[in-house]
Amino acid sequence: MIRQLPKNPSNIKNIDRLIHEPTRLMIMTQLYVVESADFLFLQHQLQMTPGNLSSHLSKLEEAGYVEVVKEFIERKPHTALKLTKKGRFAFKEYQQNLKQVFSDL
Amino acid sequence: MSYHQDGLIDVFVGVYILLFGSGILLNSVTDLSTGFVIPAIFPAIMIPIWISAKKRVTMPRIGYVKFGVRGANKMMAIFLGLAVAGLGVFMMFGLGASMGEGWALTLRDFLISNNMIIIGIAAATISSLFAYTMGLKRLYAYGLLSLVLFFTGHFITIPFEYILFTIGLAIIINGFVLLIQFIRKYPLTLGDKTIAEKSL
Repeated sequence: MIRQLPKNPSNIKNIDRLIHEPTRLMIMTQLYVVESADFLFLQHQLQMTPGNLSSHLSKLEEAGYVEVVKEFIERKPHTALKLTKKGRFAFKEYQQNLKQVFSDL
Repeated sequence: MSYHQDGLIDVFVGVYILLFGSGILLNSVTDLSTGFVIPAIFPAIMIPIWISAKKRVTMPRIGYVKFGVRGANKMMAIFLGLAVAGLGVFMMFGLGASMGEGWALTLRDFLISNNMIIIGIAAATISSLFAYTMGLKRLYAYGLLSLVLFFTGHFITIPFEYILFTIGLAIIINGFVLLIQFIRKYPLTLGDKTIAEKSL
């Protein structure tokens, strides 16, 4: 069977490398489906160490994809994490780009 | 991981069913309409307790998450569906009554003589709907248990309240087992998590 070469291999260059890293992709996926979540929730969901999660979150925050919201719930300080508009848009774009790469094969 | 894996919802629903059964039993002895009063009052008392238990037991262990409108929309669709189904049954009765005595009586007799089967099917359907929407597979088992018990009750004549006791107890026991498993799986830990969180 002869397979065709990808029509446009340069499409793969459009993939956002910041999101494409597996750990950050997991974080983005989790935050994409909820309104917000706290650090502990993400840590349990992703089975990650606090240090590792913290460093990846910092990278996403620096890129403007994740927003850290300091709030009070019943007078106790609470840190909530949520995707920014830019983060949601970047994630959607990442999905479309990845689909495009595979549909070209 | 589900927010309801802590078993708290099972414990509260089980207690509700148990109290419902107790109310019916008490009604037959005291004639205080407890069969209707207890299930009506119970949610108002227990929902704040359930929310408080969730904040004290679940959230410190697995964290806090806001699900947004997606889940809420699905639940709203189920409640609307159930309300429409209820209204449909009500209208069927109304139509039956307006069409004449014979039709209404036949329908009423059918419902009364097969009430256990109808309740069993309704309980299984409602449980399955919630199981599907909330992604909780154990609710299918509760639905199946209700179906089997109500069908058995119909054929070997077991009183309604005893069936409720059995279902309620089974759900409470399962709820406590899940709660113990949950507390063991997610012990309260602070320390490095707080330090990492502060660095954000």
